[in-house]
Amino acid sequence: MSEQNNKQASRILVIGGGFSGLTTAVDAAETGAEVIVVERNPYLGGRVAQLNKYFPKLCPPICGLEINFRRIKTNPSISFYTMAEVDNITGGPGDYSVTVKLNPRYVNDNCVACNACAEACPAERPNEYNFGMDTTKAAYLPFTQAFPQKYVIDSAHCKGDCGKACQTACKYDAIDLGMKAGTITVKVDSVVVATGWNPYDANKLDILGFGKVKNVITNMMMERLASPAGPTAGKLVRPSDGKPVQTVAFVQCAGSRDENHLPFCSYICCLASLKQATYIREQNPESKVRIFYIDIRTPGRYEKFYWKVKDDPNVTLTKGKVASVVQAEGSDDVVVIAEDMMTGDKVKVKVDMVVLATGMEPAGAAKKLSGVDYNENGFALSGTGVFATGCSKNPMDVAKSGQDATGAVMRAIQTGQRR
Amino acid sequence: MAEQVLKPDLNFVKDIIASGGESLKKCYQCSTCTVVCNVTPDTKPFPRKEMMYAQWGIKDKLISNPDVWLCHQCSDCTAHCPRGAKPGEVLGAIRKMTIKAYAAPGALATMVGDAKYLLVLFAIPAIIFLAIIASLGNLNLSAIPRGEDGGIVYAKFIPVPFIDAVFIAAATFALISFIIGIKKYWSAMSAGVNLQGNLVGNIKDTIIEILSHKKFQECTVTKERSTAHLLVFYAFAGLAVTTTWAIVYLYGHEIFGIQGTSLLHFGESPYPLYDPMKILGNVSALALLFGITLVTSNRLKNAARAGGGSYFDWLFISVIYAIVATGILSEVLRLLDIALLAYPVYFVHLVCVFFLFAYAPFSKMAHMVYRTTAMVFARYARREG
Repeated sequence: MSEQNNKQASRILVIGGGFSGLTTAVDAAETGAEVIVVERNPYLGGRVAQLNKYFPKLCPPICGLEINFRRIKTNPSISFYTMAEVDNITGGPGDYSVTVKLNPRYVNDNCVACNACAEACPAERPNEYNFGMDTTKAAYLPFTQAFPQKYVIDSAHCKGDCGKACQTACKYDAIDLGMKAGTITVKVDSVVVATGWNPYDANKLDILGFGKVKNVITNMMMERLASPAGPTAGKLVRPSDGKPVQTVAFVQCAGSRDENHLPFCSYICCLASLKQATYIREQNPESKVRIFYIDIRTPGRYEKFYWKVKDDPNVTLTKGKVASVVQAEGSDDVVVIAEDMMTGDKVKVKVDMVVLATGMEPAGAAKKLSGVDYNENGFALSGTGVFATGCSKNPMDVAKSGQDATGAVMRAIQTGQRR
Repeated sequence: MAEQVLKPDLNFVKDIIASGGESLKKCYQCSTCTVVCNVTPDTKPFPRKEMMYAQWGIKDKLISNPDVWLCHQCSDCTAHCPRGAKPGEVLGAIRKMTIKAYAAPGALATMVGDAKYLLVLFAIPAIIFLAIIASLGNLNLSAIPRGEDGGIVYAKFIPVPFIDAVFIAAATFALISFIIGIKKYWSAMSAGVNLQGNLVGNIKDTIIEILSHKKFQECTVTKERSTAHLLVFYAFAGLAVTTTWAIVYLYGHEIFGIQGTSLLHFGESPYPLYDPMKILGNVSALALLFGITLVTSNRLKNAARAGGGSYFDWLFISVIYAIVATGILSEVLRLLDIALLAYPVYFVHLVCVFFLFAYAPFSKMAHMVYRTTAMVFARYARREG
């Protein structure tokens, strides 16, 4: 290697455009590195984009994301691909060759997000952004503030003449039904894995009723339900009959700290439930919340938040894990059963709705990237030129993800400079 | 709240761990177990509190508690335990410790619970029966007198009075030991408890429940176990009736001079295969063989979810297996007239039967007495029922 080469910018591939990946990208690029972000979804922002409010300040996450989006837009050192997936990573530190599959969006950069295609689109699709609680047209914008502000055509749900209808409606020639999937190869010095997490599949929690008992939802569904941009415009009503929820039970450790499911603590679910308790309490002063837990875990300074919620007389914290969730007889209400360990008696509590505090399953549990090492639970491991960050390597909150990403940036840049 | 002084017994914790409860310390008190349990009462449910007492070594609370016996080891708790703490297995170990705590003499309980004494325990009946056989000069198997029809007659190998003497002694020993143990257990459970049930009615309800196995059928993960247990239970009942019937045949004839008919063969064994007593005995034996095989296969099949069982469990199952196998073989070999095998097999059968009865208060066989007592007590104390 010559002196000349040493002065070249580090080239970094970031897999995943969620909070960790975006932080990695902007921090690295602002030190002069060249960054490529590969994101599977048609939008950036990841799980954070699905939250209603996030810690530590409980503001809507779109403001935090907006800042990062602007930094990306204004920084020519960052390029990103949405609807893209990493196929294969070969080579070594300083000389990686990564193949990336690009899936067709069927909408090009002419799109001005005017919504004409969606209005004309005859087909609908389940809205996975809202965890299937509503539908969108098959030509859709993932969510109002999605970045990039470009529509997508879901080819799996837009068959036959559907695409033509969208195309005809578009005045900007933005719809290109001839788009094909393609593959590109990028050369980088280092790779940062920021593939994040998926909510643990609540259907696997056989005794907790999800999918079988009406009005049992997950904590991530609760985020969408509480969000002003969610399926109910932020009104906390239960799915079966739209009744505003008066009583809600939270089931902590729904799959976490359980060797039959996720044998680790997902870090943030206790706080998520405490936070969601405030959603309910703020929306309806008559509401009552009961949180069933093994241990309430509020790491570090979050303890203060725990005390704040605990002081609300309409929030009850019960030590005892819920291990049975059944439909109340003759109604859409739900009965949760637990042992209240403070009294030592079994309690059967009837509520309007149950929220399962499902944990974080690392993306590596469902899909492993070739060229990346994982532990037995699917958490990504850092190597010499491939670095894991955020929830792909450990459950953590948004603030910690930001700090962790900055750490990953340091190591990625070092790898590039040692070429 | 009144101050309570806890007396942890760390050796008790070690004993539970050594007795099949090795997963005990994994419990983190989430109480999934008490919720998934279908047989626990809703007030002060088990087994979460038992897991805590066991971890702390609070022996008094465990052995003076009917709850460990209200548990039928369905293993729903073990299957759903997020930590692999196997509450079902731990409660099994606590039950073993309870038997040991109340059994008299306690040393024998230690021996029955520990594999290194197995040979000694078998040697006791083996020596007794060998001494009888030797004293009668029956060690030369081909020289043992035959019956009138020339067939093998076990009563000529070891005459009935000897059998009766040995087993009456063994049964008396077991009975006295049981009475001592149960008295201690009952008074330990009664301390400070307001007993307000109707004892006769409670006993009646308990017997009805045992006969129907209703509670047992509420298990989910190991649902088939109740059928297997029911079969073994009624097979034993059938064999008990058979034994009594045989006594009536023998002594009815010898003492009261009752003469046999073409159907009912009062008098000495062997009895023809069409005799109703013999039919009952054979059917019961086959039911026992089938039942205990079902017990074994269920245990093996469920081992991954419900736990593999302890030495204490498998010893009990093995002895029953040995009894039923040698019992059936004794009959078959007698009918086939294979003397050189028939007598030794019959000898082993007697040794195993002795093992089951004489050591009943110390082995898992004691569960029938302790569980029944606990079930009666739970009703009597308005804990259940």
